[in-house]
Amino acid sequence: MLFNSISFAIFLPVVFLLYWFATKGKVRLQNILLLVASYFFYACWDWRFLFLLIFSTLLDYYTGIRIHESATKKKSRYWMWLSIVINLGFLGVFKYYNFFVSSFADGLALAGIKMNYATISVILPVGISFYTFHGISYVLDIYYKRIKPEKNFVDYSVFVSFFPLLVAGPIERATHLLPQIIKERKFEIAKAVDGLRQILWGLFKKIVIADNCAEYANMIFNNSESYHGGILVLGAVLFAFQIYGDFSGYSDIALGTARLFGIDLLRNFAFPYFSRDIAEFWRRWHISLSSWFRDYLYIPLGGSKGGKWMKVRNTFIIFLVSGFWHGANWTFIVWGFLNALFIMPSVLMNTNRNNLDIVAKGRIFPGIKDLLSILLTFTLTLFAWIFFRADTLSHAFHYIGGIFTTDFFEQSDEFIPRPLYFLLAAFILTEWYGRESRYALEKFGVKYNRIFRWSVYYLIILLLFVFKGNTQQFIYFQF
Amino acid sequence: MKKFLLQLFIFLAPLVLLAFVADRYINRTLKTSKTGDYAVWNDILDGKVNSEIVIYGSSRAWLQMNPRIIEDSTGKDAYNLGIDGHNFYMQYLRHDLLLRYNKPPGTIILSLDNFTFDKKKDLYNPEQFLPYLDNKEILDATKTYFGFDFYDYKLPLIRYAGQQDALKNALKIMIKPSLNNIDRYKGYSGQDLSWNNDLDRAMAVQKKYVQHFDSATIRLFDQFLREARATKTEIIMVYSPEYIGGQQFVSNRKEVFAIYDSFARKYQIPFFDYSKDSMCLDKDFFYNSQHLNSNGANVFTRKMIRDIKAYREQKLQSNGIYKIARPEQGN
Repeated sequence: MLFNSISFAIFLPVVFLLYWFATKGKVRLQNILLLVASYFFYACWDWRFLFLLIFSTLLDYYTGIRIHESATKKKSRYWMWLSIVINLGFLGVFKYYNFFVSSFADGLALAGIKMNYATISVILPVGISFYTFHGISYVLDIYYKRIKPEKNFVDYSVFVSFFPLLVAGPIERATHLLPQIIKERKFEIAKAVDGLRQILWGLFKKIVIADNCAEYANMIFNNSESYHGGILVLGAVLFAFQIYGDFSGYSDIALGTARLFGIDLLRNFAFPYFSRDIAEFWRRWHISLSSWFRDYLYIPLGGSKGGKWMKVRNTFIIFLVSGFWHGANWTFIVWGFLNALFIMPSVLMNTNRNNLDIVAKGRIFPGIKDLLSILLTFTLTLFAWIFFRADTLSHAFHYIGGIFTTDFFEQSDEFIPRPLYFLLAAFILTEWYGRESRYALEKFGVKYNRIFRWSVYYLIILLLFVFKGNTQQFIYFQF
Repeated sequence: MKKFLLQLFIFLAPLVLLAFVADRYINRTLKTSKTGDYAVWNDILDGKVNSEIVIYGSSRAWLQMNPRIIEDSTGKDAYNLGIDGHNFYMQYLRHDLLLRYNKPPGTIILSLDNFTFDKKKDLYNPEQFLPYLDNKEILDATKTYFGFDFYDYKLPLIRYAGQQDALKNALKIMIKPSLNNIDRYKGYSGQDLSWNNDLDRAMAVQKKYVQHFDSATIRLFDQFLREARATKTEIIMVYSPEYIGGQQFVSNRKEVFAIYDSFARKYQIPFFDYSKDSMCLDKDFFYNSQHLNSNGANVFTRKMIRDIKAYREQKLQSNGIYKIARPEQGN
C-alpha cells in the first residue's frame, strides 16, 4: 500500500475515524488500533515478512528488559550484543548475503583462486533497515541507561511498527517517540490541519516532482551511452530532484499522517539543496539517519575527541557505513566515500559547523557568496548522486566519462517536456520561500487568509491531477 | 473534531462534485474528438466506418497501408483500423465492434507481424480507452491487461489523472471546437521520418529476441478466420516489408511464418509475404526496422494493391493460396 495510492486514501480515513471515535480517547485502545492497522499496512506488502517484524519486535522488547534487569555490566553487555548480532544478522542475510559472497569470490578470483558459490534468491523485506535500526537504538539507549525499557508490549510494538514510519522512516528514537505513545493524546484541530497540509505537500513532491523526474532520469541513465554531456548532466539533475522529491515527499506524508494521530515524528529533511557546504547538507538530508549514525556509531567510536586523525577516521567510517546501509552494491559505498571526501576540508579546517543557521534568513534573495556556495555544494552532491543511481561502478564511470565529451551541447533536451521545467522552477521557488518553516507549505498555512490558502491547496490538487507521473515505487523502500 | 470534519467536508465536497461533472464532460468531449486513436474508436462506435475494404493490424498496418491509395486504385471505400502496439486480441476487439456498429466489410486486409500472436500483459497506450469504459466490450477487453485498476473503473475522473494528452485534447475541443481537426486519413497516418537508431539500440541491449505465442490468441485468430469464411468475407493476409537488418533479431521467425502458412492453407486464403521484397534492403523506405516511413508506405501500398489485383485475376489458377515472394532475393 503506497502512500500515494487510492488504497491508502481509503485506509487512512478509516483508521483516523476509528482512532478518534471508536476508542473514546483511551490510549490503550488507540495503541491497539494503531498496532493492528500497522500490521495490516505491513501485511499488504507481504504478509510473510510480518512474522519477521514481530520476531524483531519481540527480540528487542525482551533483550531490552534483560539488559535493564542484568545485575552486572557483563550480563547487560551480553544481552545488548545478542540483540545487535541477531538484528544485524537478519540484515546480513536478507540484504547483504549475496553481496558478501560474490565480492569474496571476486576477491579470490583476483588472486587466481576460483570459487564456486551460490547466491540465494531472497526478497528484501520492506522496511527491514529502518525497523532494525529502531530496535538497535532502543536497546543501546537502555544499555547506556538513557531510557528504561517499555514493559507494555503493545506500546513498544507501536514504537517499532507505527505505520507512517514503518517502511521508510524517519528512524525514530525511543526517547522521542515512546513518551508520545504512552501518554494520552487529545485531538488538536491545528495539528490535524497541519498534518493534512504536510501530506498534500508530500504528495506533490512525490507524484509531480519525483515521478516525472524519474521518467526522464531513468531514460537517460538506462541509455546513457546514447546521450552526450549536456543531457547526461540533465539526467543527474533530474535524478537529484527525483530522489529528493521521492524521499522527502515520503517523509512529509509520514510526518503529516502521524500528526493526524497526534504524534510528532522526527524531522527528516530541512531543505538540503540550499546547503552552503557538505556538512550542512548532511545536517539537512535524511536527518534521522545522519543523527543515528552520529549518536550510535560516530560518538561511540570516539567522535572528534581523539584529535584530527580520529575525527578523519570516524568520519570515513560513518560515511562508508551509511553508504553500505543504503544497499549491497559498491556504488553506494563509493557514494559514501565521496561524501566523506567532500566533507573532509571542513573537518580538517574545523569549519564543519560554520553554517548552522538558515541561509539568507529574513531576506528574499541570497547573497552572491551564499548562492555560489549553494551551487558548489549542489554540484558536489550531484556528482555523488551519479554513483548512487548507477547500476554498477563501471556504469557510473562511463556516465561521468560521457559528460566530459567535446560535443557537450550537441543534443537538444527537447524530449523533456517544458512543463517539467516549469514545475521544477515553481517547486524550487516554493521551497526557497518556505525554507524557514518545517516544510515549504507550512508558511502558507499560517500567513494567509483562508481564501488564498484554499486556492493554493486546490491549485496543488489540480497539479497533482494533471501532472501525475507514472507511479514509481518509493526509492527508499528498497533500502 | 466536528469542526475539523466539517471543514474537511466543505473543502472536499466541491472536488467530489467537480470530479463527477468533469468525468462526464471529458468523456463526452473525447467521444467527439476527430484526432488520433479517439477518431478511430469514435468512427467505429458511431457507425461511421462502413467501408468495403478494411485494414486490421498493429502499427505496421496503421502506418504502412494508405487507404487513399487503395480507394484511388480500387474505387472502393477503405479504412485503416490498425492499432498501435497491440496484438491480435485488441485487433479482434475492433473487428467485433466494427461488425456491431457498422456495415460488415467485404474485404479485410490483415496486416501481420512477428507479434500478432503475442498478448502483452500491460495495456499499451491505455489513454485511448479512457472515454469508452462505459462500453462493455471495451471494458471487458481492458480488464484482461494490467492497465486500469479497480478505482479507475469505479471512481470518477481518477483514470484521467496524469493523462495529459487526453486532457489537452478535451480542453482544446472545449475551448476552441474549430481545433478539433482530423489528423489521420481514415485511420492512416504516414510518418515523414528518416532512419533512426532504434534497431541499434535494441540490438545493443539484446542480441536476439524470441517471439512468444499466446495460445488463446492463436485460437482467436482461428475463430476469426472461421467466422470470416462463414460470412464470406474475403481475407487477405499481408506481411509488409521489414528492414533486412532487423529480420535476424527474432530468432524463431520461421515458426511465426509456419503458423501463417498453416492458416493460409487451412482456410485457403492468400498470404502476401513482403518480408523478402527489395524494399527490405533500402533504409530510405524505413524509419526503423519494423516501420516504413510515409514514402515507403505509399510505395508499398501501391505494390500491395497491384499484387492483390493480380492475385484476383489469377485466383483460379493459383489454387487459392498466393504467396508473394520477390524474385530480387532469389526466392
